[in-house]
Amino acid sequence: MITKNVAIQVLNAALATGGDFAEIFLEETYSNNIEVDSGKTQPPSSSISYGAGIRILNKLQSVYGYTNDLSLKGLVKLATQLSASFSGEQTVFVEKIEKVKFKNKHKIKTALSSVDTKEKIALLKKGDATMREFDGRIVRTIAVLIMNNRHIEIFNSEGKHFQDAQERVRFVLQAIAMQPGAFETGFTGPGAHSGFDFVEGLDVEKEAREVADLAIRKLSAKDCPSGVMPVVIGNGFGGVIFHEACGHPLEASAVSKGLSPFAGKIGQKVAHESVTAIDDGTIPNAWGSNNIDDEGVATQRNVLIKDGILQNYLIDRFNGRRMKQESTGAGRRQSYKFETTSRMSNTYIAAGPHNPEDVIASVKLGLYAKKLGGGSVNPTTGDFNFAADEAYIIRDGKICELVKGATLIGNGADIITKIDMVANDLERAQGMCGAASGSIPVDVGQPTLRVSAITVGGQGGKLQ
Amino acid sequence: MKVAKFFELAKQHGLASCEVGISRSTSIDMNVYQSEVENYSVASSRVIYARGIFDGKMGFAMSEKDDAKTPEYLVKQIKISAGSSESDDIAIIFEGSEKYKKRNMFNAKLSAQSEEEKLQNLFLIEKKLKALDPRITDVESASYSESESQLELYNSFGLKLKEKDNHFYYYGSVVVKSGEEVKTGYKIFLDNNPEKFDIDAFVKAVAEDGLSKLGGKPCKSGKYPTLINPKVTASLLAAYLGSANAERVQKKSSLFIDKIGQKVASSKITVLDAPLSKNIFYSYFDGEGVAKFNKSVIEKGVLKTYFHNLSTAAKAGVEPTANGSNSGGKIGISISNIILKPGRKSVEDVMKDVELGFYLTEVQGLHSGLNPTSGDFSLQASGFMIRDGKFAEAVNLVTIAGNLQKLFLDVKAVANENELQLSSYTTSSILVKKLAVSGE
Repeated sequence: MITKNVAIQVLNAALATGGDFAEIFLEETYSNNIEVDSGKTQPPSSSISYGAGIRILNKLQSVYGYTNDLSLKGLVKLATQLSASFSGEQTVFVEKIEKVKFKNKHKIKTALSSVDTKEKIALLKKGDATMREFDGRIVRTIAVLIMNNRHIEIFNSEGKHFQDAQERVRFVLQAIAMQPGAFETGFTGPGAHSGFDFVEGLDVEKEAREVADLAIRKLSAKDCPSGVMPVVIGNGFGGVIFHEACGHPLEASAVSKGLSPFAGKIGQKVAHESVTAIDDGTIPNAWGSNNIDDEGVATQRNVLIKDGILQNYLIDRFNGRRMKQESTGAGRRQSYKFETTSRMSNTYIAAGPHNPEDVIASVKLGLYAKKLGGGSVNPTTGDFNFAADEAYIIRDGKICELVKGATLIGNGADIITKIDMVANDLERAQGMCGAASGSIPVDVGQPTLRVSAITVGGQGGKLQ
Repeated sequence: MKVAKFFELAKQHGLASCEVGISRSTSIDMNVYQSEVENYSVASSRVIYARGIFDGKMGFAMSEKDDAKTPEYLVKQIKISAGSSESDDIAIIFEGSEKYKKRNMFNAKLSAQSEEEKLQNLFLIEKKLKALDPRITDVESASYSESESQLELYNSFGLKLKEKDNHFYYYGSVVVKSGEEVKTGYKIFLDNNPEKFDIDAFVKAVAEDGLSKLGGKPCKSGKYPTLINPKVTASLLAAYLGSANAERVQKKSSLFIDKIGQKVASSKITVLDAPLSKNIFYSYFDGEGVAKFNKSVIEKGVLKTYFHNLSTAAKAGVEPTANGSNSGGKIGISISNIILKPGRKSVEDVMKDVELGFYLTEVQGLHSGLNPTSGDFSLQASGFMIRDGKFAEAVNLVTIAGNLQKLFLDVKAVANENELQLSSYTTSSILVKKLAVSGE
């Protein structure tokens, strides 16, 4: 998007007042969304996100700015404005820039742009119609294709130039069921760092039937009881519990300032010995994967907790300075409008030794939260909440009635000491994660697992 | 981009009528941590979004890139967008309202204040917070943010509208500890007049938000008369008013279907949609160029209107309510600058007869624990107990569960605080008869 020569001039302007590191991040992203709402195609949207972010670091200080003006004049103006924050002499000089080569792990077979809009709409309509035809009580159906093509370039004062193209697609189905006095929804949203081949590989009708079926069954579900109880959390999106409750507090943005309950605890037991947790940004074509992070650092498979012992954090370059540790390739951002910070990629609890049936059979009276919905956490205290999208009561080791409106609440550092039985059915699921550097694609994941005790909120009174 | 060039190209390509919006903004952000400037950022951005009618359907596109090819990109994407559309939304580019109540809300005092002065305020906030109480062990953040934005709207009927505004906010957050217990507290001060910022009052509020949570424990499960503070009232009211979004009503996913003229809340509740209020959320035209005006939405518990854009109003055969929003060219419905009409009594008076109750001050998980279609909610909450009409011990990690419609029908009293929230809602505390709180 800019030449090496322009990059050198801008970086030197940024470093003129004594900054010890400077970086230019350039982005051009083409996004297209198509939505079919109850059988009707809505006008597809398209947009171009285009701009540059410049960052200057000086020890533990950082300054950041962005602009849509990618001319030499526009970028030098921004660099000069930012460098006014420092008042020293230039100590780092950029003379030449070399391109850093790396292997692309995320091959695209069918580029999204090569597929006609009509073909995309036909697939959405198949999903939409399957949901609507499932049951007369399905009153609204939504099928969406979210597609984007992100081109990034990074130039930094270490004389390095990185370039990557990232294509992502997500296929979302939602059904709303209604009967007098009750509204319920079903949802699925598989996605990948891939082209249209990922969507072609989905069994759209099967996914659609499952979404509609859940919405219908929830109509007659009773309110979830409340109280403290053992809870079995289902595989796949159930991993959002680890993402929210432990993943965020393991990010360097919280750890570097000592604000996380996990700060200073490397080598210590922080979880039940059944728990091994990994953040892996290298999984080919996974939704949360990238070849390099948004600072140009190669992504890694990072073991965070092994057999209950804390091994590592998620670290970006800037927070790594405070921690005196190297980046783990976790510096991510939504777009050029955000300064990078430490973020997750594909984060999951590793498979354990048990069969999922045995995990459920081990609970006398409790809850089986098969599918979790969204949640949030305070990274300093670790207090979290999650909504269960599909949950059943377990009685004498058997899955019994479906219940609705269940919320799981607790504290992250506490809950991972209570994950005491982990099954062998690891699965990952896709989501968008929002934090200081914006909303980014991530995978969450886990096998079916048991939490010995957790507070469940619901309107159904005491569990009996 | 030359707007005239775009209109000309659009005409050549057979777009019947079209509209262009250009939004520009600049901002400054700074953050102080441990007596040093930790972050400083400046930004300028611009986005162009365009809509047009092709073959009777509306299409749209947007771009942050502005070069010679931009008009062509926009026109091409509008045609693809409209060409694939089977939407039954009525495609309207608005000719213009008769009268617009334009007012200048831009405050020049803000940019007149030096950056150095703003930065000194942050150092002072950090210093004062640390000195205030030994239980404050860290100041997580003392930050300042300022932005200026400008929106221009043009269409092929010759409509030209322009709005410019600015605002700033200070954000402070602390970590407080007592023994093993750790809590956080924060406060945000938002305005566009720097003279209104009272640093001591701000520091006190940040500290109090953290310190008051210490010792918080789950309370006994039960149904309690519950006093809800203005902040949480605003969040719950926003979720409830989502049902008055005409798009949701017409798509049958609202609690307010066929409810115009009917009771949807207790008679203590009167809600106004007041976009022309003289605060930083003031705005005089909506996303489609319709002149905004103030109106009542709920009057003494009775629903008076839905929120409409041009298409939903045309479908329903009513006048538009100027609630059209434009997000990247896509038209929706937005609701802002809502006022919950305050009651006469102070909070102390409202709660004085509550022997045993719950004071709800914070909820989490509104995006996941609340079903906007049914109104059912189950949310992580914290607050205080009320004993003998007075605030008592802190309560933490409980859930509240109920239904929005039932909650607003159950309102016994509205207090008189009238506080402007960050969400643009102006609200007061409300007292509800009973709310299920689940703790121990």
